[in-house]
Amino acid sequence: MASASGSAPPPAPLASVSGVRKQFRDEEGHERLVLADVDFEVRRGEVVAVLGPSGCGKSTLLRILIGLVAPTAGTVSANGEPLEGIHPGAAVVFQNFALFPWLSVEDNVRVGLNGRDVSDADAARRVKEALVKVGLTGHERAMPKELSGGMKQRVGIARALVGGPELLCMDEPFSALDVMTAELLRAEVYRLWSDGGTGLSSVLLITHLIEEAVYLGDRIVVLGANPGTVRREIPNTLPHPREYRHPEFLRMVERVHEVVTGVHLPEEEEAPAPAVTVPGRPAAGPFVPVPAARVGEILGLLEILADRGGEMDLFELDAMTEWDFGRTIAVVKAAELLDLVDTPKNRVILTETGQAFVAAAPDEKPVLFRRRLLTLGLFATLVRELAREPDAAIRGDRMRDSLAERLPSEAIEPLFETIVGWGRFAQLLDYDARADEVGLFSGRQRDGE
Amino acid sequence: MDVLILGVLAASVVGLVALAERWSAPLRAAVEIDLAPSALPGYTLLSLSRGFAAYLLSLAFTLVVGTAAARSRAAERVLIPLLDVGQGIPVLGFLPGLVLGMVALFPRTNVGLELACIVMIFTGQVWNMAFSFYGSLKGVPAELYEVSRLHRFSRWKTFRTVELPSAVIGLVWNSMMSMAGGWFFLTVNEAFTLGGRDFRLPGIGSYMAVAIERGNVRAMLWAIVAMVAMIVAVDQLLWRPLVVWSQRFRSEERSGEPAPKSWVVELVGRSRLVRRLRRALRRRRARGGDEAAAGAAIHPATPGSGAARAGLRLLAAVALLAVSGAALWGGYEIALLLARVRAAEWGTLGAALGATTLRTAGALAASVLWTVPVGVLLGRSPAWSRRLQPVVQILASFPAPMLYPLVTGALLWARVPFTVVAAVLMVLGAQWYVLFNVLAGASAIPGDLCEAADVYAVTGVSRWRTLYLPAVFPYLVTGLVTAAGGAWNASIVAETITYRGGELSTFGLGSLITQATHEGNFPLLAAGVLTMSLALVLLNRTVWRRMYRLAATRFALNR
Repeated sequence: MASASGSAPPPAPLASVSGVRKQFRDEEGHERLVLADVDFEVRRGEVVAVLGPSGCGKSTLLRILIGLVAPTAGTVSANGEPLEGIHPGAAVVFQNFALFPWLSVEDNVRVGLNGRDVSDADAARRVKEALVKVGLTGHERAMPKELSGGMKQRVGIARALVGGPELLCMDEPFSALDVMTAELLRAEVYRLWSDGGTGLSSVLLITHLIEEAVYLGDRIVVLGANPGTVRREIPNTLPHPREYRHPEFLRMVERVHEVVTGVHLPEEEEAPAPAVTVPGRPAAGPFVPVPAARVGEILGLLEILADRGGEMDLFELDAMTEWDFGRTIAVVKAAELLDLVDTPKNRVILTETGQAFVAAAPDEKPVLFRRRLLTLGLFATLVRELAREPDAAIRGDRMRDSLAERLPSEAIEPLFETIVGWGRFAQLLDYDARADEVGLFSGRQRDGE
Repeated sequence: MDVLILGVLAASVVGLVALAERWSAPLRAAVEIDLAPSALPGYTLLSLSRGFAAYLLSLAFTLVVGTAAARSRAAERVLIPLLDVGQGIPVLGFLPGLVLGMVALFPRTNVGLELACIVMIFTGQVWNMAFSFYGSLKGVPAELYEVSRLHRFSRWKTFRTVELPSAVIGLVWNSMMSMAGGWFFLTVNEAFTLGGRDFRLPGIGSYMAVAIERGNVRAMLWAIVAMVAMIVAVDQLLWRPLVVWSQRFRSEERSGEPAPKSWVVELVGRSRLVRRLRRALRRRRARGGDEAAAGAAIHPATPGSGAARAGLRLLAAVALLAVSGAALWGGYEIALLLARVRAAEWGTLGAALGATTLRTAGALAASVLWTVPVGVLLGRSPAWSRRLQPVVQILASFPAPMLYPLVTGALLWARVPFTVVAAVLMVLGAQWYVLFNVLAGASAIPGDLCEAADVYAVTGVSRWRTLYLPAVFPYLVTGLVTAAGGAWNASIVAETITYRGGELSTFGLGSLITQATHEGNFPLLAAGVLTMSLALVLLNRTVWRRMYRLAATRFALNR
């Protein structure tokens, strides 16, 4: 598209934030830091993709950028001016479409012209044009519930385009659709932007899919989680139209993979925790959160590795599983934290402990797992604290509160669930959901006492 | 904490004994009511015990009738229309017959009057409980029944492990609503005149009735305070903990909304005694479970024998016959009564029906006009709606007739004619249901729809037209249906009221029924109640059903 170049100073970005921080209070009353010191801008004439795992605050960033949500701190600008209210040149395509179920397709699209000074005839013409652009001619009078997901999102896109915005913001626009439909719509969005018929200057895409970011983005911004921060920016100069199977495309995907891995699976810096600990007097490792991975997923990873000679490429692994990349990374990270795998570069290698774990009989696995857990500062501390309680048990809410206090930028509920899941498997912790009570595992032995 | 729990236990034992003494007291047609505030706690407890007795009756009825209707096609075909009619008709109209019958049954003690009062409260509670229970049972996944049959569960075990758990959440909610609904006619149920005779039971309702009769505003205020205290206490000490407890039967993960909380549950949960007990119980259950499993392995349960099943079927047939027989006999009796109603009286009834219809429609429209904007504005703010929902719930539970004299006084002072005042009184209690539902509807609007409205500058009038009104419409209909039923029923106590020792009355079906009750004109009473019942059933079948359909097809939010 029109890229401004020349001697004049570059025009102000369409939308930008600087030094933005966002803190939310969740339902349980815990403060959570979602974004920290984020600088970000959408320049004129570009498609920029923001890539990050779920829960990293990327949707919040979009909402702050266009004025739907106010930041806790920092400044937001539109065309170089401080933003007041909603960004005048922005339109949004929502993940779950956000169509008004009681309005027809036509009336839903007309919502995009709201508050604009257009005559009825003019509005009807523009609605028609927008529907033609997204290929929905003939569906004017249909109701949203009659349409498939892909068609609903086409209505969402038509509604966004009908007002002739400069900036099209898309919040995970294809993630509620099946793979085929998503691929088709992605290509159509690119065509709409590039053929110039819409007056669009820039597109902001929020996504957790690397392929999607590489397919559409001219610039890929990688966010880190907890709290969300901008970690890396990768220019993407692949020529359009891009093809998913093209070697260049695959190479670019791999590069982004590597960056994401580097952000979320940094090479180990801290000294490894001592391998052997005496139960009851655990070593106090750092109190760091554990990644939200289920025990079954970790065990599955170990099995997969063992079946393939104990070593695998991270991307190969990712391609094998049906998880998105963030999930794969979380599981690998969890296994690494437990010293069951090692990840030099982009390889995943089963450690000796990991091999022993795979070889262990089913009733030995919990014992090994428990030994590993007690090397983690988080579990060691919780177990020590529980042992001090009169009944060796506390209310789950109290544990959630104490976690929230110590790990302010962590989402507490998933963390709590992970701790309970791991602790149960290791026969270390017991959680009674009915009484909301966490205790040290007592097992059947105690019943006999 | 532990001391407190033991204390509560002891107190309830003492209370039950005292209550039993009260009940067997000799019959006095009109008990002298002491208007001193110090007498109020005792009266309040008496009324509360009636409410609970009625609730237990409702619960038993619900479990039996709900199960029968869900299990047997034949029972379903008879019971569900009966429940539907029962829900809609003005139960107050049946009070006279019930009282006379009960007093005749127990001529020497107060038991007859007490029972009549309890049955009246019961009729205000039972319907939605039974419906909810029946609905939950119908919603039990077929797979669960198949599992229970595969593993040869006994009927009782199926009920305990399959049916009850899936119905508990709905049952607790509806119990809460029912308990509240049961208080509505308390002032009438505990004190009324019938054919010139005064019947009175000691309780907060009769206290209020006497205070109103004597125009004693101070006593009225005290009664209101006592009533609110009772409602809040029951809500906090009984319903909140039950709601929290019932959450464990939720089948799906909770999505975002905060789990219900109760300070009572937290307090009890913190008690060391209770925690010990719970743990001991759990251990015992774990051991008992093993034994039971071992037992099951050795003696597989025998499937229900054919003879027992045939016996059950016979019992059901007999019950059906009995019900139909009673219905026939009742119909015959009523026909005899109605034959004594003069043609001119039928004309008056028709006109009265028109007047009350107009009054209800106007009052409901007015309540929509204020509740929709207020409900939407408050519902859009999560903080406010969280804070206000319990308040609105208490307002809805408060028996509006207790406020009639005060509201009437204020409105008459402002020179509002009584025929309009009556309309206001009719929706005084009912409007909260509308507000409550609109509030819930507004807070259920999906966040992305609001964001879409923000992004595309849908503001002012068009925001109401494209977003708020359609989104709350289904909730509004639900609220209106409840409110309309309430308003019609309330017309019986609102169109004729006792005020400053005198009586204020305006023309309408409700005042006609009240008048017939006072005079002991049973043919007219029967005709009036029948007219109102038919009108209500007709309204439900036409207007409300159509609205429901519209709400479900056009304005449903599930995408």
